Amino acid sequence: MPTSLSVFRWSRGERERWQAFDVDAGPDTTVLDALVEIQRRRDPSLAFRYACRVGMCGSCAMVVNGRERWACRTRLVSLRAGAIRVRPLYHFPLLRDLVVDMAPFTARMRAVGAALVPAPDAEPYARIPAGSTERSEIDPAIECIGCGMCLSACTMVGHNARFPGPAALNRAFTLERDSRDAAGEARWRVLLGDDALARCHGQGACTEVCPMGLAPTTSIVRLRQMATRKLLGLG
Amino acid sequence: MSDAPRVLRRDWTTPEGWRGTTTGMWAWLIQRAAAIALLVVVALHLVNPFRRGLQAALLALVLLHALLGVRALLLDFGLPLRWHRALFVLALVMTATIFVTVWTWRWY
Repeated sequence: MPTSLSVFRWSRGERERWQAFDVDAGPDTTVLDALVEIQRRRDPSLAFRYACRVGMCGSCAMVVNGRERWACRTRLVSLRAGAIRVRPLYHFPLLRDLVVDMAPFTARMRAVGAALVPAPDAEPYARIPAGSTERSEIDPAIECIGCGMCLSACTMVGHNARFPGPAALNRAFTLERDSRDAAGEARWRVLLGDDALARCHGQGACTEVCPMGLAPTTSIVRLRQMATRKLLGLG
Repeated sequence: MSDAPRVLRRDWTTPEGWRGTTTGMWAWLIQRAAAIALLVVVALHLVNPFRRGLQAALLALVLLHALLGVRALLLDFGLPLRWHRALFVLALVMTATIFVTVWTWRWY
């Protein structure tokens, strides 16, 4: 079935443009398959990023028909009839065509202290037992693959460069529930600042687009509940 | 040409920009829009409290704004996020139901 793909093109020093390509799509042809086909047979200069091709790594995240998706898991037939528009993720610096610079993702993670800082008295191989309340709270939030779709979908990330965004706040929640972590004091200074928890409007766009089915909005709500208890001197 | 990095933002003036608008964003947008509309309607209502159209608009907007606010509060208090779409629909249905009930009730 012939399908038309309209692809965002841009490289430094050039004006952005949309380029149309017709591809022959089968029932299981994905957006990534179509892009690979275009790159191999039509235009080798088309830049896009992918690695695993099977919906694990998240590196082929892009905006297809206005919504953040995995290119490798999005079948062309699942999209509305008509031209399919493929553009890079929002809110990230463009490098070329569909490729964005993921450095801001890492920077936002760092901003909320997203690395585990072991408590001085923590066992070297301390584990959080399966079945514990702590484990059951953390488990649903730990499978983030760092694809950046949530940052692209979040309207507040677009408006406030200092807002850590869904992925970083989700990560902060897992660490706040982790009894082995000792960086809570510094992290709460950031979380309770003007540009973190208070900025989320709870629109849930991050949760809607997360390919791993995580719910950063829930993590942010849980952090807010913890923050409220802190501010009331209850926890 | 500027050396500043080129960063794309959702263009709200195009259909594509709106296509990715999720249920939660609609809930947020409608509640904020109702708040702004309320400011205008309350001001007009103070000028002439007996205009039926303004009374209807005031009732509808208050219900819409308040019930979407209750939805947000329930989610903040820990109601599972997977219910958020159902809560949005419920808020809209309750707005319509209460509006029709109150507006058609012969209270005089």
